[in-house]
Amino acid sequence: MRAWKELIKGLWSENPVFRMLMGMCPTLAVTNAAVNGLAMGLATAFVLICSNIIVSLVKRLIPEEIRIPGYIIIIATFVTIADLILAAYFPDIQKVLGLFIPLIVVNCIILGRAEGFASKNNVLYSALDAIGMGIGFTWALTLLGIIREILGMGSIFGIPVMGAGFTEWVIFVLPPGAFITLGILLWIINSISKNKTVEGDCCH
Amino acid sequence: MGKSVKLIVALAIISLLSGGVLASVYSFTSPKMEEVALQNQQNSIFEVLPGIESYREFKNDENMIIFEGLDSRGDIAGLAYVAEGAGFQGKIRLMVGLDLDSKKINGYKVLEHQETPGLGARIDEEAFKQQFSEKSLTDSFKLKEDVTAVTGATISSKAITDLMKKSVDEVIKIYGGGK
Repeated sequence: MRAWKELIKGLWSENPVFRMLMGMCPTLAVTNAAVNGLAMGLATAFVLICSNIIVSLVKRLIPEEIRIPGYIIIIATFVTIADLILAAYFPDIQKVLGLFIPLIVVNCIILGRAEGFASKNNVLYSALDAIGMGIGFTWALTLLGIIREILGMGSIFGIPVMGAGFTEWVIFVLPPGAFITLGILLWIINSISKNKTVEGDCCH
Repeated sequence: MGKSVKLIVALAIISLLSGGVLASVYSFTSPKMEEVALQNQQNSIFEVLPGIESYREFKNDENMIIFEGLDSRGDIAGLAYVAEGAGFQGKIRLMVGLDLDSKKINGYKVLEHQETPGLGARIDEEAFKQQFSEKSLTDSFKLKEDVTAVTGATISSKAITDLMKKSVDEVIKIYGGGK
């Protein structure tokens, strides 16, 4: 029962982007097209799952004082492994993702889950937490990318959808569009879940 | 004292393990990556010089990577060369194809870049690239006059036009004496 809870909490109730507002740098920076959001989300999810598992396994071996640099080294190692394997075996995917991959090291969701969850829980829960958070991050970034791509370029995943007469709102693929889109989405999502937070099943 | 030694040792062990893992992954993937890079270079030469049957390297003293594209009779049909310059965030490397008979550019293919995804990275999209095909070798490549910039990526677009202008002149200078 607890396993299920750890898995699904990242999707909505503790969604890293919409509820915890973590990882804002990639969220704002790379979501100007749907495919970029999806690619960044999946790459981050891979690193998140690997690093959560390893951190949870070695948590007792790393002294308290140096846990942060230790976690960062573990995360950076997985990021580099992902980059090398993609470059060698999936060069086409690496061409799209290559630019985002170094950014993953400094994504605070990954360090946040390592420090806040994996260092206190067993391997199974840590893996499930990472899978849930990874999917939650991926869908949030993809949604942002879809909205910005429709308004800014008139297409979804590169396929034109708005017809020839559509005037592109270029601001949506530029940095200000990221803030505007995220702000409006947060407003919508907060008003949907407002009742729950006010009545709140607090104190668990 | 004893405490900090312990921390140093622990961090050193973590770093060593990480380095070891990365070194073995790298030695495992690097031959494959070289193969991919070579394959990419080969494909890009054939792409920017349509209609050629084979190619050979043109050796020169300026350390520029130039290839002569040969047609089915073994005559030189065009030149392909690697142009390298600074972009918005990092290095941009292009494979550029020139048609020597008509003195026009066939086009370019991006071998490597680090431009912003969705903005500067669109220098690799057809809509921007095709502006260069059929351009005369003596064209001025002025951004916003001859070439429309990618929206929101003036610097990346300018990097390409400047690089084209500079490298075309350079190649003609180097190759001019070779023919």
